Amino acid sequence: MVEIVSEMVANVWKVLVSVGDQVTEGDTLVILESMKMEIPVEVTVSGKVEEVRVVEGGVVQEGDVIAVIS
Amino acid sequence: MADEAKAGRQATPAAGEDGPKFMPTLTYEGPSMKEKVEELREKRAQFEAMGGPERIERQRSQNKLTVRERLGLLFDDGTFMEYGLLAHHQSQSPQMQGRFTPADGCITGIGEIGGRRAAVIAYDFTVMAGSIGMVGEIKATRMRELALKERIPIVWLIDSAGARIQEAAGSTFARSGDLFREQVVMSGVIPQVAAMMGPGAAGTAYIPGLADFVPMVKGNSNMALAGPHLVKAAVGEDVSAEEMGGSEVHCKVSGVGDLEVADDQECITAVRKYLSFFPSSNLDRPPVAQTSDPLDRRCEDLIDLVPANPRKAYDMRKLVASIVDDHDFFPMKPDWAKNLVTGFARFGGRPCGIIANQPMFLGGALDVNSADKAARFVWLCDAFNIPLVFLMDCPGFLVGSQVEKQGIIRHGAKMLFAVSEATVPKITVVIRKGYGAGYYVMNGRAYEPDLLVGWPTAEISVMGPEGAVNIIFRKQIEAAPPEQQDEMRNQMIGMVRDQISPYIAAGWSFVDDLIDPAETRQVIGKALAVTESKRVERPWRKHGVLPV
Repeated sequence: MVEIVSEMVANVWKVLVSVGDQVTEGDTLVILESMKMEIPVEVTVSGKVEEVRVVEGGVVQEGDVIAVIS
Repeated sequence: MADEAKAGRQATPAAGEDGPKFMPTLTYEGPSMKEKVEELREKRAQFEAMGGPERIERQRSQNKLTVRERLGLLFDDGTFMEYGLLAHHQSQSPQMQGRFTPADGCITGIGEIGGRRAAVIAYDFTVMAGSIGMVGEIKATRMRELALKERIPIVWLIDSAGARIQEAAGSTFARSGDLFREQVVMSGVIPQVAAMMGPGAAGTAYIPGLADFVPMVKGNSNMALAGPHLVKAAVGEDVSAEEMGGSEVHCKVSGVGDLEVADDQECITAVRKYLSFFPSSNLDRPPVAQTSDPLDRRCEDLIDLVPANPRKAYDMRKLVASIVDDHDFFPMKPDWAKNLVTGFARFGGRPCGIIANQPMFLGGALDVNSADKAARFVWLCDAFNIPLVFLMDCPGFLVGSQVEKQGIIRHGAKMLFAVSEATVPKITVVIRKGYGAGYYVMNGRAYEPDLLVGWPTAEISVMGPEGAVNIIFRKQIEAAPPEQQDEMRNQMIGMVRDQISPYIAAGWSFVDDLIDPAETRQVIGKALAVTESKRVERPWRKHGVLPV
């Protein structure tokens, strides 16, 4: 299990994956919006999306878990 | 015969009227000059053998070169002159009796790196774990003095357990500590490099702390104020030297290390290359290199690399690589505070320090670590007459409660301080965003750029349109019927956005020109030539009050 965490406080602009999706390293999971920029959050491992803990329009804090990959 | 010779050598008073007279020594039966030279040769060989075959083998088995092999790589062939080879410990302490410490575990001398002199202090782990003994420190002190007097760089190759406590575990410590103070005196006068090629505990950890450039060999080097045994004794923590102060920690988390390198060869290559960008001292200019890369080479790839949509990220390192001579960029702290790219490169052979926002991380916003990284890099370049090139794409300083707790104002002030203070040529290219204090610290118009140009995508403003509308028109929007609020807000955002245009900044002549991105290389190269004789006078002061 690998937790993908947010590196900064941001709005969640787009969620691009759903639970059960297969992802490969480097895929974009969600796009955050912060400091006038789109900030893609990439998955650091290949695997299956077990959990997505954010919703579009929500807010993440630095260190919050965005998704869990198995 | 032997007795006669002895008697002959002993001066015996001869009686005479003028008082006692001494007979001159008429015979000599000691070793011949040839024998003396042979004895010297043997002694030198004995000292050059370092800690002996067994310890050298252990050193090699750890994928480390010996100290002499390292020096062979560091200096141009045949240029190294060693000082203090025949030194060894003089300690009377019981723990030191019977120990032989060739060169006292610390090789010192002067050689040439790329045809220019540099001094070295290299610790030899095969001799009492490269510990700093009293004689070794006398040698190191001499080398620091010579380097400063000659105004040449000093390089430490650190592979050392720290202070040799077998010699001085008690209160004679009261007299020690000169090395760090001397390093501070040398700071900004001569370049200082501390290459971590093995352990660097305690006494040898502040050397890199005060040096300008600290490459670290992955897996073999570490630095910490105390090694694992002392940590266990002092605070009870069980931790390995690698976990506590390996290259992973210092090059990616703490920011004390500047560059993680794979092995000893790569480390020495990095030291040589780093110094190639520097003058021998702050009295000189950095050397101009030969290059076959034409300064007027157009960088058409930039047109596709950088999205016109200001919200989209791109890799700033690719932009940097595209514009510099031979696509050759020497990064400083590439794995720490990655939202800011810092490092050395050349344009038309002229060295410069590059500071560039990296939209791939934190959207290119500045935080506490990147501000520290920038401040230190600016001070480094300014001290050694290396011009600065700022590539600006900065949405501003990160905001919010988290960064305020980290002291973003204090850290941001450091960057402001360093950039304001720098009197070397400063060239700024606004690639896209230049917002708020981010525009200032990336060397905006008020910070004395010698050339300030923008791409057609440049957007300079105190804040983004959304933020501005939320502040300026908040009451008006709130007063409108709820169903009209969104439309009203969007309309006002559009109005404010129209005010953010590079042609407004250029129309006021606040930016010197707007340029074709493909000509960025040429413009920077020309600017470095144009500003070559820059001189700035500041009012006298002892020193500023640094916001650290």
